[in-house]
Amino acid sequence: MQLRMALAGNPNAGKTTLFNQLTGARQHVGNYPGITVEYKEGFLRHAGTAITLVDLPGTYSMTAYSAEELVARDYLVNERPQVVINIVDASNLERNLYLTCQLLELGVPLVIALNMVDVAKSRGIEIKADILATLLRVPVVPIIARSGFGTKELLEACIATAREESTWDPRDLSYGEDLDTTINELVALIGTAGLMSDLYPPRYTAIKYLENDDQILVKGRQSDPDTAKKLEGIVSLSTEHCQRTLDVYPEAIIADHRYGYIKSILRQGVVSHAFDTDRLYTSDKIDKVLTNRLVGPLVMLLILFTLYSFTFTWSEAPVAWLEALFARLSDLIDGLLPDGLFKSMLISGVIDGVGGVLGFVPLIMFMFFGIAVLEDSGYLARVAFMMDRVFRIFGLHGSSVMPFIVSGGIAGGCAVPGVMATRTLRSPKERMATLLTVPFMNCGAKLPVLALLIGAFFSDNKARYMFLFTMLAWVVALLAAKLLRSTVLRGAPTPFVMELPPYRFPTLRGLFIHTWERTYQYIKKAGTVILGISVLLWALMTFPGLSVEEQAVFQGQREQLLNASQPAAAPVTVEGERKAAEVDPEEDMDASLGLRLAVIDNAEQEAALRNSLAGRFGTALESVSRLAGFDWRTNIALVGGFAAKEVIVSTLGTAYSMGEVSLEEAEPLTRRLQKDPNWNRVVAVAALVFIMFYAPCFVTVVCIARESSWKWAFFSMTFNTFMAFAMAVGVYQVGMFFNLG
Amino acid sequence: MLAKGWKKKGCCSLTRERNCLQGQCCHGAPLSEQIRTGRVRVCKVTGDRKVCARMASMGLYPGVEADVICPERGSRCLLKVNGGTISLDPEVSQNILVTCL
Repeated sequence: MQLRMALAGNPNAGKTTLFNQLTGARQHVGNYPGITVEYKEGFLRHAGTAITLVDLPGTYSMTAYSAEELVARDYLVNERPQVVINIVDASNLERNLYLTCQLLELGVPLVIALNMVDVAKSRGIEIKADILATLLRVPVVPIIARSGFGTKELLEACIATAREESTWDPRDLSYGEDLDTTINELVALIGTAGLMSDLYPPRYTAIKYLENDDQILVKGRQSDPDTAKKLEGIVSLSTEHCQRTLDVYPEAIIADHRYGYIKSILRQGVVSHAFDTDRLYTSDKIDKVLTNRLVGPLVMLLILFTLYSFTFTWSEAPVAWLEALFARLSDLIDGLLPDGLFKSMLISGVIDGVGGVLGFVPLIMFMFFGIAVLEDSGYLARVAFMMDRVFRIFGLHGSSVMPFIVSGGIAGGCAVPGVMATRTLRSPKERMATLLTVPFMNCGAKLPVLALLIGAFFSDNKARYMFLFTMLAWVVALLAAKLLRSTVLRGAPTPFVMELPPYRFPTLRGLFIHTWERTYQYIKKAGTVILGISVLLWALMTFPGLSVEEQAVFQGQREQLLNASQPAAAPVTVEGERKAAEVDPEEDMDASLGLRLAVIDNAEQEAALRNSLAGRFGTALESVSRLAGFDWRTNIALVGGFAAKEVIVSTLGTAYSMGEVSLEEAEPLTRRLQKDPNWNRVVAVAALVFIMFYAPCFVTVVCIARESSWKWAFFSMTFNTFMAFAMAVGVYQVGMFFNLG
Repeated sequence: MLAKGWKKKGCCSLTRERNCLQGQCCHGAPLSEQIRTGRVRVCKVTGDRKVCARMASMGLYPGVEADVICPERGSRCLLKVNGGTISLDPEVSQNILVTCL
């Protein structure tokens, strides 16, 4: 038997936790509403039944007020799952049953999963699931999604419901005399015309017309314009009547009656309270302090700074170990393999490229762990609440905070889910402004670049500089948003209403899963995409190489040098002399001969790199990029960074490992940059500013195009790049003028 | 089948307050002007139609009782209603009229 089941419920009710528990998946779960913005599928098998489980986005209602609600409703009516598990937060039953009412009205085969019964119990709330099941006429199963308690019984109830194979059975609620009369009139009209009857029950369509549901109104007009016009006429009269007599819209009356229905159910012995229901819980008491307008922002800054200190202090040693490990590996391969293209590709393309990215895994891991603590505890939602005040000034919305944080607001996120998280914004202009500015945040891919350049040029106060650059990302993103909202995206702000989840103690298992799932993505990307791009860029930096004539010039220089140092000797070979100089420096030979030969080698390799396809491109850009202090090698890395930002570190690693002078051992990139005459503190800051704000990576651009249009994706690339370059030029010119390098 | 049984219990606050509203007797002050924490009753919700509907779906509608957790006069507000904590911006708070209990 093959079953298709869907998980529906309020945001933060535990849908994804249950989904992960049942399917063994590791979908991201957070103590923050709106984590799931599109549905996800998982598979499980129970008692010989293969089940496809779909995790729908959290919704408060089945009316199209936001994108998540549309996704959830469209899935239910189009895919028609055999069972819908409505996950209900037992500690907040009344509000959660509001959605249940609408699912009952839609007529879906329903099973209620009464989640977090343990939390409800700790708050003195006792729920009689059997009475609730009798009154609602659907199975109700108490569960604890976190621990898996009750999930077996839940699956059995679901399979039993599915086996009944009953047709959808819409439940009718009464909405008072006035509205019921209108609804009956609408139902008659809808029934006669068969308007959208393949998707929705007539009464449900009628209620959505009264609730002014945009999607239903548009669909109605498209499928039967005449009937739709008549329906809208009736609704308009009814709305006018409600406004005149009660000063409310029909949807307020509908909501009031639904809550009335819920209260009447709950008062029939379903819920009993051991404590005073009016009391405030610990979570509310903490909120009184942590969201205070004066104390709150101070605590927030302190927490974020602590996160950076923790990350940099604890990751310093493991990052150094990994760096040394890759340097040793490089030396090992250098000693084992004969010179040639394969060795060059392994050392310059694979080890310096991928190793440069993997070297930052400990830092990424510590940062993700810190973010997981903030998210799972529920504090991130409070950050959104406090930041809303600031965001308003810049024409953004409180709901923009989460996309910013997901994209790397606390450094270490990813712009792709950040762009997708903008779906929670209702206003198209605020959404577009958010969507275009979230790539300014310091995502996990930019983190290695930040760590590399800060480590190389500002190693004294790494955490402080990291914090400063994160703040800079926020400031620039907000100013860019203000610019966009005052010009191309001008429009009125929309209200901010968001539910704050209760504070919860994060579980160690949850923290490790979150940290690992994000770190694994980073490692996987380094081993696949970054590896491919690194090898490709190595090829672009290697071919076509020098012509025979050019090679002969360098060969001539070497021979000239050798002849000058040993005029009387028998015919000498360059390799033989180099080995002699390296192996036995105490000999009669000039001690610096080896070094001078290496300098010629370096000049040859630099000429080869410059002559390569990537080198030619980097050199062509140099006349412009010099204004910001970037040499042609940096240009190659920056262009490569468009594919993926991690590539910047790997390409710098490759570009600066080609033509290395050191005779002893491979040096870490940090030291190579410190030694390079083209790099100094001012160039480092200019480069950081450019990297932080120029065109988003390719995947993000595609995502922006998918979420808006290619026109906006192209705008994002050009606007960001020009703005970033102007800022980098400003930083470099001012810095050099005051001789700060 | 119409689930009408509950109506007899008088749970519909709009029905209960209909006369009061018709008589324009909501003497509440905007939530944004609330300066103390404590329990309030929502007596009217005005403003954008979709926002009112969304708030209703989150449990904030005329007649409901709520706890003000973090009042910031003239600014945003944290409100505990039906077991959930809702954050509201200044414009929304301005449009919710409440009376202290």
